[in-house]
Amino acid sequence: MKPLDLVRLIFGNLSRRKARVALTAIGVVIGTSAVVILVSLAIGLQRNANEQLYGIGDLTQIQVSPAYEMTEGMVVSVSVGGGVKDPGQPQPARLLTNSALDELRAIPGVESVIPREYLMTGVLIKYQKLEGGVGVIGVESDDLASLGLEAIEGGTELGRGVVVIGAMVPNNFYDPRIRPGQEPPPPPQLLGQQIQFIVSKYDEQGNEIRKNLSLRVTGVLKETRGESDWTVYFPLDQIKSLNEWSQGRRVNYNKEGYSQVVVKVQDVNQVLDISDQITQMGFQAFTPQSFVQGINNFYVILQFIFGGVGAIALLVAAIGIANTMAMSILERTREIGLMKAVGATNRDVLAIFLGEAAGIGFIGGLGGVIIGWLAGQGINVIALVYLANQAGQQGGPPPSVAVYTPIWLPLFALIFSTIIGMISGLYPALRAATMIPVLALKYE
Amino acid sequence: MKHYQMGGSIVRALDGLDLDIDAHTFTVVMGPSGSGKSTLLYLLGGLDRATAGEISIDGARLDEMDENALALFRRRTVGFVFQSFNLIPSMSALENVAFPMQFAGITSVQRNHQARNLLGQVGLSDRTDHRPTELSGGQQQRVAIARALVNNPSLILADEPTGNLDTSSGAAVMQLLSDLHNSGRTVLVVTHDPRMTRFATHKIYLLDGRSVSETEYQSAALESAQVS
Repeated sequence: MKPLDLVRLIFGNLSRRKARVALTAIGVVIGTSAVVILVSLAIGLQRNANEQLYGIGDLTQIQVSPAYEMTEGMVVSVSVGGGVKDPGQPQPARLLTNSALDELRAIPGVESVIPREYLMTGVLIKYQKLEGGVGVIGVESDDLASLGLEAIEGGTELGRGVVVIGAMVPNNFYDPRIRPGQEPPPPPQLLGQQIQFIVSKYDEQGNEIRKNLSLRVTGVLKETRGESDWTVYFPLDQIKSLNEWSQGRRVNYNKEGYSQVVVKVQDVNQVLDISDQITQMGFQAFTPQSFVQGINNFYVILQFIFGGVGAIALLVAAIGIANTMAMSILERTREIGLMKAVGATNRDVLAIFLGEAAGIGFIGGLGGVIIGWLAGQGINVIALVYLANQAGQQGGPPPSVAVYTPIWLPLFALIFSTIIGMISGLYPALRAATMIPVLALKYE
Repeated sequence: MKHYQMGGSIVRALDGLDLDIDAHTFTVVMGPSGSGKSTLLYLLGGLDRATAGEISIDGARLDEMDENALALFRRRTVGFVFQSFNLIPSMSALENVAFPMQFAGITSVQRNHQARNLLGQVGLSDRTDHRPTELSGGQQQRVAIARALVNNPSLILADEPTGNLDTSSGAAVMQLLSDLHNSGRTVLVVTHDPRMTRFATHKIYLLDGRSVSETEYQSAALESAQVS
C-alpha cells in the first residue's frame, strides 16, 4: 500500500466518525495544551530568572582568591595584602603571586588574568556639598573593558588622577545638612567633574589621620546590577599605595600574593571546566556560571515536573483513544474481514488501525498546540502587566516574558501526542491485524 | 478436513472430501445449511485453514502458505462475492470497487479508471457515486461482483450470491457470473437454490461435510421434506 493512499484512507476513515473522533481528540487537546502551557511557563520562569541573573556579572569571568584551610595546632598565618601574623587564623593553601598568575594565564581557554584589590580602609567621597560612601577597587588594567564592563557615559580607560564610577555611585550622594522633611537633592552629574576622596586611618592613640585626593570622573559604567554599580575604579598601583599608607608598611605582591584576581575565559562553555582546574591548582574559584547552571538545572527539573503533570492528562486521553479504537474494531470486524478477503496483509490492516489511532493523537495534538500557544500568549499579556507593576514597586526592570514557548515545544508536543495515539492503538490494531478472515467476515 | 470446536463438542464441517475442480469451469456446490459448502469455499479462497489435508490451487499449496502468502494469493488469484455483499457503507460504488486495488499499490488514477470500467461492465455506469444504501440489493451485488474483478482474478468464489436477492435480480447476478465463466474464468458458486444449477458445467453435492452423488442428495432432500 502506498503511503499517500494509507494517509488518505486513514483520514477518510476518521472523517466517517467525526463526532467520536472529536470527543476522543478533546482529551488529547486538553493533555497537549496542558503540556505546552506548563512547560512554556517553566521555560518562561527560567528565562526570567536568567535575565535577573545577568546582574551577578559577566558569565565568562571566574573570581579567584587564595583557598584557606585550617590545620589543627596551626600557629602561623599570613593575612593577605599584608598585616600581622596571627595565630589561629586560616592560612592560604596557595598565594596568588605573580608566578601563580602566570600559571593561570597558561590554562588553555583563558583570555586574561587581571588582579584586583579592595581599598582596605574607610573612604568618604565628596562632591560640592554632597557626601557619599562607596567601595573602591583597584584594577591592574588600563581599560575596564577587559573586565567586560561598558561605559554609558565617557570611557572605561583608567589612569593617574582619573576614576571610572559605577552607574549607581551618583545615587549614593546625600546632603549631610539636609533638614527633616526637606526634599533630598537629585543625583549629581559626575562625568568630567572632580570628586574629593577622603581616606582615613587611625594611629596607635586612636587619632584619625586623613588623606585627601581629588580625582576627575572620566567614565560612568553601564548598569550591571552587580558589584560594579556601587564601585569606583582606580588603577591598581594607586590602591596599593593607599593600602601601604593605611597599614604603614610596604606590600609585596610577589611574596604575599593578590587578594583576588579575575580570570576571563574566551568561551562561556569552558568556564566550569577551567574553574575546576583552578580549584585543583589550590585556589578558590567562584563563577556566576556555576550558580547559573545550578539555577538552570532546577528549572529543567521544573520543566520535567510540569511536563509530567500535562503528561498525566495525556495518559487519560490515551486510554480514551484505546477505548475508541477497540470499539471501532468491534464495529468494523466485517470490514476487516473484507479487507483481508480482497488481499490486505496483516501489516496493511495493522498500519491502517495504528494510523487511525495516531491520527486521533495528531488531530488532538494539533488542537492542543494551538490552544496551548494561544493560552500562553494570553497569560503573557495578563501576567506581564501584573509583573511590571510588581517590578515597578520593588525596583528593577520588568520581565520581558512570563510564558515562553520555544519552537521545539509545539513540534515535540505534536510528535509526542501522535506517538501516544499510536501506542494507545497498538493493542486494538494488533487484534484487528491478526483476526482470522473467515471469522471476521461472519461476525454479527 | 475441517473441524470446528462448538462448545464442548467437535463439529466436522468437512470430512474426507476429495475434489478436483478443473480450470475454466462453472461449478455449483449444492447442499443444505450445515453441509459444509461455505467452509469449502472459504478453504479454497484461503480465508480459512483446513484442520488436516491438502488444498492445491494451480499448483500452489494453500495449506503450506503463511499469512502473508495467503493474503497475496487472495489478492492476485481470487475474487470473492458474498451473500451480504460486504460493501463499505460510507463509500460510493466507485470507491468500493476501487478499494482493493489500494492494497496492490495501484495509483488512484488507474484505480478510478478500472473501477469505472468494471461498473460499466456490470451495468452500473450511472450509479458510480451512489452509496450502497442508495442502491437496490441486485445493484449492490453487482457492485460486489465488480469489486471481485478488480485485480483480474482467475478464480471467482461466490457464497450464496443470490441469497439476499429477489428472483429476477438473482437471475441477473447468475447471468453475470456465467458471463465471467464464459470469459475464461473459473467460477465456483455455493448455493442451496437448485435453480442456479442451470448455469453450471459441474455440480458438487454436499451432505454433512461429505461429497455425495446427485441421486443420494435428491433422496436426502426428499426425506427431509417429508419429515418437515
